[in-house]
Amino acid sequence: MAAKYLIFGPITQSTVSDLIVKIEEKTDTGAHSIFLGQVRSDEIEGKKVKAIEYSAYEKMVEAEADKIKRTIFSEFREVSSIDIIHSTGFVKAGEISLIVIVSAHHRHQAIQACSNTVEMIKEKLPVWKNEIFEDNSHKWK
Amino acid sequence: MEVKVLFFGVLAEVTGTSFKHYREVKSLGDLMLRIQDDFPEFVHYNFRISLNNEIIDSDPLLKTGDEVALMPPFAGG
Repeated sequence: MAAKYLIFGPITQSTVSDLIVKIEEKTDTGAHSIFLGQVRSDEIEGKKVKAIEYSAYEKMVEAEADKIKRTIFSEFREVSSIDIIHSTGFVKAGEISLIVIVSAHHRHQAIQACSNTVEMIKEKLPVWKNEIFEDNSHKWK
Repeated sequence: MEVKVLFFGVLAEVTGTSFKHYREVKSLGDLMLRIQDDFPEFVHYNFRISLNNEIIDSDPLLKTGDEVALMPPFAGG
């Protein structure tokens, strides 16, 4: 498992709070931008999504997430840390499947860098989604 | 010689497996021909190919221990 970046199942309250507790240990940052990705109960062809099953190429997730962080650090010089955790396995509608926290001296860089990180994750992270419907049929995203 | 091929996303469902070993393949092109023989339905799917974790669009020679992944469009985040 790419332990730095992947977690089996949904991202829980305790994972989020552990990350926030780490923030409190820093005294050189003034802004933290947090993105949470949640599984939506979309309706597709008359059927509602009840969960998403995520799968990942774990070794490549590690390499690509490291590259994403290097890119963001080089573009946003005030950013001091970037946390990325993505779920694998089943995540039910309403549960959280992605968290990104970017810390910087000031808010403008924190917010923009967080947004750019999320966009890069969507483009570059080797993760796949299988939408599971209430009737237990499924459709690959 | 032997290489490992990983199947992700819908391709894992189509093949019924997440990986398969192939022996005596000289190049990535040869490997893809063998894979298409085994799984002709792959012609219906878009995917990219990585070799040892790097996305590739050339036709390199392969060696024992190489890991090739067939990856449909990413859908993370």
